[in-house]
Amino acid sequence: MLEIKNYSKSYAEGKKAADDVTLTVESGDIYGFIGHNGAGKSTTIRAVVGVLDFTEGEIYIDGHSVKDEPLECKKVTAYIPDNPDLYENLTGIQYLNFVADVFDISAKDREERIKKYADTFEITDSLGDLISSYSHGMKQKVAIISALIHNPKLLVLDEPFVGLDPKATFTLKEIMHEMCKQGTAIFFSTHVLDVAEKLCNKVAIIKKGKIIASGTMEELTAGQSLEEAFLEVANEE
Amino acid sequence: MKSNIILLRTMLKSTSLVNIYRYTTDKKKKKKVVAGFIGIIILYAMLMGYSLSMCIGYGQLGIIDATPVMCAFIISAMSFLFTFFKTNGYLFNFKEYDMLMSLPFEARTVAGCKFAYMYIKSLGWYISISLAMLIGYGYYKRPSVLVYPVWIVMSLFIPVIPMLLASLVGFIIAKISAGFRKTNLIQTIFSFVFVIFCFSLRYIIDAVVKSDKVDDILKTVSVATDSAAQVYLPAAWFSGAVTKFVLSDMLQLVGFSILLFSCVFYVVGKSYRQINSALKSHVASKDYKMTAQKKHSVLNAIAFKEFKRMTGSTIYMTNGCMGEVLVVILGVVTLVVGFDKIVNVVTQGAPFDATIIQPAIPFVVYFMIGMVATTAFTPSLEGKNYWIMQSLPLENKTIYQGKMLFNMYLTVPFMSFGILCLSISAKVPVVNTIFYLVLGVALCAFSTTWGCVCGVKHMRLDWENEVEVIKQGASVAIYMFPNMFVVMGLVVLMVFLGMKMDHKVLTLIMTVIAAALSGLCYLRVMALSKRK
Repeated sequence: MLEIKNYSKSYAEGKKAADDVTLTVESGDIYGFIGHNGAGKSTTIRAVVGVLDFTEGEIYIDGHSVKDEPLECKKVTAYIPDNPDLYENLTGIQYLNFVADVFDISAKDREERIKKYADTFEITDSLGDLISSYSHGMKQKVAIISALIHNPKLLVLDEPFVGLDPKATFTLKEIMHEMCKQGTAIFFSTHVLDVAEKLCNKVAIIKKGKIIASGTMEELTAGQSLEEAFLEVANEE
Repeated sequence: MKSNIILLRTMLKSTSLVNIYRYTTDKKKKKKVVAGFIGIIILYAMLMGYSLSMCIGYGQLGIIDATPVMCAFIISAMSFLFTFFKTNGYLFNFKEYDMLMSLPFEARTVAGCKFAYMYIKSLGWYISISLAMLIGYGYYKRPSVLVYPVWIVMSLFIPVIPMLLASLVGFIIAKISAGFRKTNLIQTIFSFVFVIFCFSLRYIIDAVVKSDKVDDILKTVSVATDSAAQVYLPAAWFSGAVTKFVLSDMLQLVGFSILLFSCVFYVVGKSYRQINSALKSHVASKDYKMTAQKKHSVLNAIAFKEFKRMTGSTIYMTNGCMGEVLVVILGVVTLVVGFDKIVNVVTQGAPFDATIIQPAIPFVVYFMIGMVATTAFTPSLEGKNYWIMQSLPLENKTIYQGKMLFNMYLTVPFMSFGILCLSISAKVPVVNTIFYLVLGVALCAFSTTWGCVCGVKHMRLDWENEVEVIKQGASVAIYMFPNMFVVMGLVVLMVFLGMKMDHKVLTLIMTVIAAALSGLCYLRVMALSKRK
């Protein structure tokens, strides 16, 4: 579903934020992307979702090149940034309708899906309020619902659990499991290694823009905890 | 086309006062929306009044035929400059870029909708000018009834071409800057250079036309505008369309606008992602070595924070420092060319004793320096970072004092430089120059404190784009318009009184008035700081 081949991102200064990154996320995978602050996780994720231009390599989503067919890629992808900048002066429901309009979702389907997810995240009562009046967690919930209403084939999340209350965190994890069973590929970055360990079947560790370890959770941890494995690999390099 | 409409509709709704008023539960916010709406109506009325009075002047002078071309010129110049200053924040480097670009929109669609949004949001200003001039034209010329609808419809197209050209220049600057490490700095420098070039264009055109020895022909405004319309064809097309109903002129204005839109956004769309990627992502150098650190006073620490906020934003720099840059240029040019010759250019060669202008020197410099006061928008500019200052053990008055201190640091050196250059060039006696310098400082204090009153009173933190507070904020408009008109009046008053009074006494009186007003404004800021 997602194939990153030798992706590199260089800045005008010549420095590389991402260096020869290669990884594959299959349908049904929950793929964790972990690394220190500034390791290149968000840069890679932003390139995957077509926000950031990149210099070398290729990224394919559902067989389409992000560089050459960005629209085809975005139609099957949903992205939840770490700090969602939504239209603050729209109400929650206006924003969700905007996204639903963009993905051409019928009135009946959007109503059903918005209600389902808004009820799950316990935010239905607030959908009529302006987003500017929402807390960070509520904005994050709206961003998550907007990502889910078009049933994406690939879900990309950047630090999705930051700012969510414990119940919403649990709900999101449940939703991720559910989507994974239905064949959606999920690629997400996180610093919470416990969550990654319980949730993911595959993991990649990035350091200074380079993938230093990747594979299935079993391969990577080999009997240790993910935290121990991560520290071991990160300190080795 | 469908995705264009969805996106544009959402952009407009997301900044619509009606939407905010309808859905906010915050009563204070509702009041602010109403006040903002009333403020906009007042500003529209002022603009219409100004345009109408200009038209009445044409009518009285018997040159009413020049109105359509003049209308097209004023709208074109305004839309070009305003768009150029806004391009960086609206087309590039905007906050919701990630959200929009991750949705299935083509880059060209996002850029095109951003432009259309900018056009619709500013159309009210241009239509106000056009309608006011149409009223004046209709009153004096008594044209056919058909002129009215044609004029109104064609007016919708006047700003399109200049706005597209300004966007294209902004795009070229952004594209070039994207290749440099210090993207913001390069973009700011290019923007300054371009605006200075635009300001000097009038004199360049003058020089070109004069070298053709058509001085005599240009003696009437009517002929002069006709000649200028031959250079700027959209003005001629508009004039031909509304006065003679020339179909080809109408088609050319509309057709060229659409064609240029398609071309510009085809080109912009190609590099849109690359430019935004460069503007929004910066590599960390990770080579910092801990060195000796200095301790600063709280006020200086706030002022330094303001300085870094300024240098980090191209929109802030180009809008906040334009007056300072113009003063440096004016000062240097005056020293090189000579005060008399500069006055000669302004008076178009009419016989004039330059010494009578001397008392107006501080106000001439202030006209540029005081165009914008950073204090008028820095309280709002805190935006989502508002919590930082509010969570620190600082009183609001200290925060505002720091902001005012920064504006003084920014304006006083340039004000002094400008006054010194002009005074030296005009051979002003040393004692008078000192008086002018003191008045200059008092004027800076007034600009700073009056700006802060407006900035605090009309603080708006929930902006989507910093252009909204730096360029279009109610606080900036309320600061700028009265300040500009009063200064223009004061320049005339100083020249008039300078002929009747001793320059030192006159300057002293003005200094006392400016200082008193500054004091009052400062007290008002302190009072407001307790209320917030």
